[in-house]
Amino acid sequence: MIPACPLAAVSTGMHADFATVLIFILFGVFFGLLALGIARLLRPHNPHPEKLVTYECGELPQGSAWVRFNVRFYLIALFFIVFDVEVIFLYPWAVVFRQLAAAPGLGLLALLEMLLFLAILVVGLAYVWAKGDLDWVKSLTARPAGEEVAGE
Amino acid sequence: MTIGLTHYLVLATAVFLTGLSGVLVRRNSLIVLMSIELMLCAGNIVFAAFSRWLGDASGHVFVLMSFAVAAAEAAIGLAILVEIHRLRRSVNLDDLKTLTE
Amino acid sequence: MFETLALNAPSWSDLRHFVPETVLVVTFLLALMADLFARGRRPAGPFALALGGCLVALAAAVSSLPAGPRSILGDLVVVDGLAGFFRVLFPLIGAITILFSWASGEIMGPRREHKGEFYALVALMAFGMCVMASAADLIMLYLSVELVSLTSYVMAGYMRTSLRSTEASLKYVIFGSVSSGVMLYGLSLLFGLTGETTFVEIRAALLAGRADNFALLVAMVFVLAGLGYKIAAVPFHFWCPDVYEGAPTPVTALFSVGPKAAGFALMIRFFYTTLLSPGGGQAAAGAAAPDGVIVGPADWPLLIAILSVVTMTYGNLVALRQTNVKRLLAYSSIAHVGYLLMGFLMLTAAGLEAILFYLLVYAIMNLGAFLFVIALNNRLGGEEISDYAGLSTRAPWVALMMMVFLLSLTGLPPTAGFIGKMYLFAEVINRHWFWLAVVGALNSVVSLFYYMKIAKAMYFTPGERAPLRLEPLHTAVLILLAAPTLALGVYWTPFKNFVDRAVAGFAGLGG
Repeated sequence: MIPACPLAAVSTGMHADFATVLIFILFGVFFGLLALGIARLLRPHNPHPEKLVTYECGELPQGSAWVRFNVRFYLIALFFIVFDVEVIFLYPWAVVFRQLAAAPGLGLLALLEMLLFLAILVVGLAYVWAKGDLDWVKSLTARPAGEEVAGE
Repeated sequence: MTIGLTHYLVLATAVFLTGLSGVLVRRNSLIVLMSIELMLCAGNIVFAAFSRWLGDASGHVFVLMSFAVAAAEAAIGLAILVEIHRLRRSVNLDDLKTLTE
Repeated sequence: MFETLALNAPSWSDLRHFVPETVLVVTFLLALMADLFARGRRPAGPFALALGGCLVALAAAVSSLPAGPRSILGDLVVVDGLAGFFRVLFPLIGAITILFSWASGEIMGPRREHKGEFYALVALMAFGMCVMASAADLIMLYLSVELVSLTSYVMAGYMRTSLRSTEASLKYVIFGSVSSGVMLYGLSLLFGLTGETTFVEIRAALLAGRADNFALLVAMVFVLAGLGYKIAAVPFHFWCPDVYEGAPTPVTALFSVGPKAAGFALMIRFFYTTLLSPGGGQAAAGAAAPDGVIVGPADWPLLIAILSVVTMTYGNLVALRQTNVKRLLAYSSIAHVGYLLMGFLMLTAAGLEAILFYLLVYAIMNLGAFLFVIALNNRLGGEEISDYAGLSTRAPWVALMMMVFLLSLTGLPPTAGFIGKMYLFAEVINRHWFWLAVVGALNSVVSLFYYMKIAKAMYFTPGERAPLRLEPLHTAVLILLAAPTLALGVYWTPFKNFVDRAVAGFAGLGG
């Protein structure tokens, strides 16, 4: 699959690449400081406490920006992680599929195996969907009324 | 200086120890779960580095598999955290004292 | 032996040797789908599907005997005597768990949601455990351990409105993920040191002396941490009592036998294949020598011996102080891991036979003891030892059956536990590990005290006198488990033969 190439052989090229990156970083920092420095020399100096207030569309800011996000965001994120990561199995498969298809018998096997893999995922998705966990509104109302906070 | 296998192993050890100390020191279970992800990440770095060094793709395959496992683990861990937060309004590990001798 | 196996590319025909596992996966998917259509308080569809699936898998596993040795699915999985034994055991454990969950208030109570999911998860866990018993590659080792762990986390937190259940689940996730992270790191080092992922090839690389000794030791200890957590051996046991106490009792019953047996299966396969080379050790070094030659630098059997002693002593001593029966049984299960490790470090075929026989017996008697706890929890709503006061007058037959399980767990005749311990200790003495045998025997005496605490409450502490009627299903399954616990103590030859054939067909420990 991967040609046998010890890291040491590659890393001379890597060294040079990092030098390029370093030059970019230095230039980026230099230009940023340059712009700030020139502005400091030219602008009038007139401090006022209201200038330090968080900008909220010109209105006076209300409450703290540190609000708790709705727990439903987490749920959607959970489903996203699980189904998203499965995609990394598709890429290697797609890369070598042409070679596999050329080999007798293996092509069909590889195709069917991936379809099987996706079918199992579809079962999972169907389950989540049918249980209503993808609905934005439903997920909180479906909780049972009384919570047994004391241990059972 | 060239970046060789040793550097990757040192990096992996550092990441592993960071994760482990995070698990041992931090009391917020969300942070603990993140530290655990770091530990898994350290294993992945070692696998990828050795895979490249040995010219053997099975290490890469292992990394892909462990990505999926790590995602599933994070998903389940977070789901349980959400549930615990609903019940207790806290995800601090020191508050989990219902089950002690 | 592995050397005779042909290396083969995966093909559909491999599935012919993977029938029980395939059945369990299909069962899981079908039960999950059936849950969507389940109406009413009791999800009969998922229950029937999961139970039927486990029984079909069991039948398929029995009919595939003698299994093997055959390397399938691109050498990721090996089907041999050992795998054949465990793929009979796990669907059986799954079926029993499903049966007694059906009448358990903790699983089927009005507050529970997604009840069908529970039965689907039991089938999935049985699948994961079967794969653990037949993994022949580091990738499969990791994936199967994780599959069982992830399923366990969800099942431990099944009572999601209960503080105890969710707390148990979170603790399980954290301890489990940490040890799996440590294990992954160990596996990656092992891969780097040997350049291989298959157990057999790792051994070949170690025999060729390619690995640095110190690094190998570190890798092995890390892998042991992951597997030790699965079987709850002592420095890696912290999760065990809390999870056992907090999880719903049917789940605890499953945890205390299933993943533990699967962990042992995987430990046996991994250590006996990678760190042991088949050789004439016995002929060369006398009768006390193991059946194989140790590969690698460390005297790892001695390490396991220390682990074994610490595990059984800690488990037994802490169990003495417990008043909650679930917690007591949790510590007792830790102690049993200690006994089983004694057989593991003998490195002999007879030692393996003793382990497998004991696992079989342990599965029956421990499930029985937990089922007793479930059945009474349904009626009494508690699981403290004091709740069982006067039980011998309230439900004499049930108390008697619990007595049988307790005697068997202690290892007293005429029960199956006695025969199991007899085989274990006989092999330890045969191989001249006398100090280990003495520690083990002393530990058994200690265990008598806490098991008899339960017996004392049932028989000698006065309590309520009103007769107690259990769920008929629970009584039936209790009888189903108590009968073999007694019968195996009197006539065990067929089971011993079954176990012996399994070990003879084990691909790792070559003669």
